[in-house]
Amino acid sequence: MTEVIEAFGLTKSYGTRRGIVDVDFAVHEGEVFGFLGPNGAGKTTTIRTLLGLLRPTSGRATVFGLDVWAEAPRVHERISFLGSEPGYLGELTAAEQLDYVARLRRLPKRTWHELGERFELDPTVPIKKLSRGNRQKVGVVQAFMGDPQLLILDEPTTGLDPLMQREFLTVLADLRAAGRTVFLSSHNLPEVERRCDRVGIIREGRLTQISTIQTLLAGHWRSVNLVLGQPPATGTFDLPNVEVTSMNARDMHLMVRGDVNPLLQRLAQLDVRDVTITTPEIEDVFLSFYNGTEAVQENMAAEVAR
Amino acid sequence: MNPTALRLELRRSRTLLIWLGVVTAAYAGFITVFYTNVVENAEAFEDVLKLYPKELMAAFGIEANFADPGVFLGGYVFNFLWPLIAASAAIVLATRVAADADRGFLDIALSTPIARLSYLSGSIVTQVVGIAMLAVAMVGAILFGDLVIEPNFQTVSVMLSALHAVAFGLAVAGPTTWLAVVLLDRGRAAGIAAGVLVLMYLLNVIGALAPDFEALTALSAFHYFSLKDLINNGTYPVVDSIVFVVVGAAGWALALVAFRQRDLAA
Repeated sequence: MTEVIEAFGLTKSYGTRRGIVDVDFAVHEGEVFGFLGPNGAGKTTTIRTLLGLLRPTSGRATVFGLDVWAEAPRVHERISFLGSEPGYLGELTAAEQLDYVARLRRLPKRTWHELGERFELDPTVPIKKLSRGNRQKVGVVQAFMGDPQLLILDEPTTGLDPLMQREFLTVLADLRAAGRTVFLSSHNLPEVERRCDRVGIIREGRLTQISTIQTLLAGHWRSVNLVLGQPPATGTFDLPNVEVTSMNARDMHLMVRGDVNPLLQRLAQLDVRDVTITTPEIEDVFLSFYNGTEAVQENMAAEVAR
Repeated sequence: MNPTALRLELRRSRTLLIWLGVVTAAYAGFITVFYTNVVENAEAFEDVLKLYPKELMAAFGIEANFADPGVFLGGYVFNFLWPLIAASAAIVLATRVAADADRGFLDIALSTPIARLSYLSGSIVTQVVGIAMLAVAMVGAILFGDLVIEPNFQTVSVMLSALHAVAFGLAVAGPTTWLAVVLLDRGRAAGIAAGVLVLMYLLNVIGALAPDFEALTALSAFHYFSLKDLINNGTYPVVDSIVFVVVGAAGWALALVAFRQRDLAA
């Protein structure tokens, strides 16, 4: 599997202030990699380091096998970037800025035209007169134009209305289908759930988890409500990943973490009248990582049970 | 240097340079037209100047009668108009990199294949071109005004004064570029550059007024920006020009090194 981005012990500190610490990860070619974390966790520092805007304090990162700091211009030939608050030159119209950035990226003039129509962008208005959302559209078009091999997106849908967010996700899906690689930092968790193959979660500057969305969800408590034909025998649910949280005659509530098959095998031997299995919301899962305590996860599980 | 970045720099400097150029040319031409009148009334002007406090005379570099071409052009144009125009242009153009960082545009430009040095080089070339254009506007207007009345000034000397004027502008622009790159904050960089210039101006005035402090004038850029001998005798201030150019070039070199190495934090 070809790795497009690789970080090895990537550390960035700002004097005594923490940025990121020993961050290791790899993004495979053709995948959409979600990068999540609360504000101040180190997402933007990681992205700016990958872009060669910040020099790593220690460790290193490569993009397409090139060192992101030492060979930044060569890295940039193959990537495109969009920040949460895309910069602009107030003196220029959207069309002028897009043409300017296109030339810097060695793309033909008006490369952006089709995307501009798709995102209903008025290219004739000076950018300083555009609303926040419309400025973001300029940034989105700027990032997507020219079919880059790697997109690094930092909260790209901030300010976009729901229709444009949907359009954004469609373009993202098209890129993924075309085999492009995307590194997506976002607070929009449904967006991450729908589009990302894997996610990395960063907290207090350290990468705490990398996994697929499915694995991430599976690793958390599921809530199982059962209605049985008759009370189960003692020890029926004695499984390492199952916890009986309440039992009232034939009504039961269980919590199961990880693989549900052992539990389903036990249930197949019982007279089950009704069963409901609730998967935790992705927001809850991420919140538990953000808050970083097992207790929070368990409280959440209890909340789901109620 | 990247031609696209240079074109953009020139393009977005257009309005500033046109307006500064118009102001410079209009003022320099207008003042020059009155030179004949000053010469014809030299004695009356002499009497008027006697009424001025010597501090005011020192502030404007007026060392003798206005009928003297070097004193006239120095007092009205080179020592008064040009420092203001050159400093304004140099500070605005040199701090643009910091403004781009403030507006987040630097992230976009520097996440394209353009190298940091190319990007900043575009800004530096624009500073040189802009300051040169303004100097040409000033000197062109003086020569035009001189032609309109009757030729009083040595054409070659006036033309050469543009070179020294450009050198002065470069000496402001180079270190200001370095400040802008180090601070990446347009307000602070421009404020410090302007503050240092005002301080240098005061040092020059104080040194001219008080012999005990004369040595302080050596610390002032204005001390090295005198065109009187060039206008009157055709003696070009070679050493002073070289000092200005070296200061400017050193500022840019330091700026390029710092820009290449530094973090571009959000």
